[in-house]
Amino acid sequence: MKNKLFEKYFVFSPYFWLVLFFFIPLAIIFKISISVSEWGMPPYQDIFLFDNGFKINTTFENYVYIFSDYYYIGSFVNSLILALISTFFCLLIGFPLAFYIATSNIRLRNILLVLVVIPFWSSFLLRVYAWKIILQNNGILNVILLNLGITSEPLQLLYNQYAVIMGIVYTYLPLMILPLYGYLNKFDLNLIEASKDLGLNRIKTFFKVILPLSVPGIVAGSLLVFIPVVGEFIIPEMLGGSDRLYYGKILWEEFFVNRNWPGASALAFSGIIILVLPIVIFQILYSRWSQKNEI
Amino acid sequence: MDNNFLVIENISKSFGDNKVLENINLNISKSEFFGLLGSSGSGKTTLLRILGGFEKPDTGRVILDGTDITNLEPFERPLNYMFQSYALFPHLNVFNNLAFGIKENFTQKEIEINVRNIAELLSIEHLLNRRIKQLSGGEQQRVALGRCLIKKPKLLLLDEPLAALDKKLRSKTQLELTTLQKKLKITFVFVTHDQEEAMSLSDRMAIMKNGLILECSSPEEIYENPKSLYTANFIGIANIIEIYKKDENFYSDDLGINFKLNKELKNTKTNILLRPEKIKIQSINNLKTSSFNSFSGEILEKSYLGSFTRYEIKIKNMIISVLDQNFNSNSNYNFPKGEKVICSWESESIKVLED
Repeated sequence: MKNKLFEKYFVFSPYFWLVLFFFIPLAIIFKISISVSEWGMPPYQDIFLFDNGFKINTTFENYVYIFSDYYYIGSFVNSLILALISTFFCLLIGFPLAFYIATSNIRLRNILLVLVVIPFWSSFLLRVYAWKIILQNNGILNVILLNLGITSEPLQLLYNQYAVIMGIVYTYLPLMILPLYGYLNKFDLNLIEASKDLGLNRIKTFFKVILPLSVPGIVAGSLLVFIPVVGEFIIPEMLGGSDRLYYGKILWEEFFVNRNWPGASALAFSGIIILVLPIVIFQILYSRWSQKNEI
Repeated sequence: MDNNFLVIENISKSFGDNKVLENINLNISKSEFFGLLGSSGSGKTTLLRILGGFEKPDTGRVILDGTDITNLEPFERPLNYMFQSYALFPHLNVFNNLAFGIKENFTQKEIEINVRNIAELLSIEHLLNRRIKQLSGGEQQRVALGRCLIKKPKLLLLDEPLAALDKKLRSKTQLELTTLQKKLKITFVFVTHDQEEAMSLSDRMAIMKNGLILECSSPEEIYENPKSLYTANFIGIANIIEIYKKDENFYSDDLGINFKLNKELKNTKTNILLRPEKIKIQSINNLKTSSFNSFSGEILEKSYLGSFTRYEIKIKNMIISVLDQNFNSNSNYNFPKGEKVICSWESESIKVLED
């Protein structure tokens, strides 16, 4: 009897986790997003009022406010584009790396995997800061370029969208490589040999055999990069400039600078819905497709 | 017959310090069904992979139909390779697996016709729309075979073609494979560790051990007249007896009897092979023991195999295997355990092993 209880607890513990750290915070954010804002602490009114009998005090004005100002929508679109570009580059660099690691011998494979994971041992903030040092006007890269005579004056490498993309690709690359590796590791290398034997050269073999069979790994890695990048705050804040505003930064400003908690909550909640809903639909369609194709 | 259709010349291959193949030379004729037989680690699969182009030899050449293919990529070689695991593409159905190698050079209509023809040849027309996971082992084997044959290769390489099938299916497929090969007249080279499979499929076969070819001949020749002790033991059941010259005859200490040989020997001491079915077994009452080419012993073990009965007969320090064909349908015909019997053989049945 005791064992059964333990088993039940064990099985449901991930759900407890999910409820405690995902659904309850989400509900709180939603609650704040439909509250009326006011000057005070906290800067919003309760949604249930009991002064003169029971009264529900909610408003959708915060949502109207968010969606009627292109400032907010534009930043979200910027973040989506940033996430798409970053995911693409992570895939472009990560796929060959993951494939190389998965197909190399066991000793080399372990060394390479450690190399992929090593950056995680140092602080994320420090790593981004290091890029700042490399890219700044009197940074290492500019010094090298100047001394080699490639440029006559320092290039503005920092504080623009390219620095942001580079920083994101650098930081998120392991998140692409690891799931891809996990999938490619199980790849039957005989299939590649069979394809070559049947007359397809390396490039055709890649597109006809390796790529179609890697779709699950590509999907997993891409989602792992895409979703957090949309809300990324620190990298655009440290490496980015004023040329482009991103969702994470706007959210932070709305909350901490403007102290508009209901507005920030509405922005956060809309972001989650806009991002998560298509992904959930995609996952359902995709799992159906992969079941049909038995990949 | 063109004896030089496939020429394997001085092929050597090492992986690090490990010498896998040492100076392999083989000539294989057109339309021949050729077997490479050896235990694991003998280098047979490496040799096949060199022919397929998946490994590059350290030295030597491979010449197919007059063309040196040693440095060609797998996709440039006019041959195909059937993998032990079949390596069928799980993301494609049977039709597209079969059509995989011809999609490039043919129109949709020609592809359709070719796939239908090959499917008919292998009786898998009803499977064309299936996915690979929905196929049985035997069906997968046919698809793998069809995927190669549709390309009309000059040479088909098969890595353990029947190893993944269950026993009953294996003997059926063995027969089909030989029939198919004779019909298509494509040169087949296959690798196996199963001596029965090698014997029943091959026109000629090579016995490999530690990266060397010990013998290369027809299955009959290798079974009846093996040159080495290893081959004699590897193929079929073998009674190996050590003999040495004593006066005019040869004597075995283990059996305590004399042997009369038809042949002069170079060495004074040698091993001889006596196959178990060459030994005649008789009741001791029928006959007196002769001093040559016969011995009397006691039946230690007996296993009834249907068409044959296998006896293990103890004589002095040795146990000799005898296969006795069951001519008589009377079950009492068999000798019981513990019975004293006389075994005898013809002088020609004794094969001297050179090394």
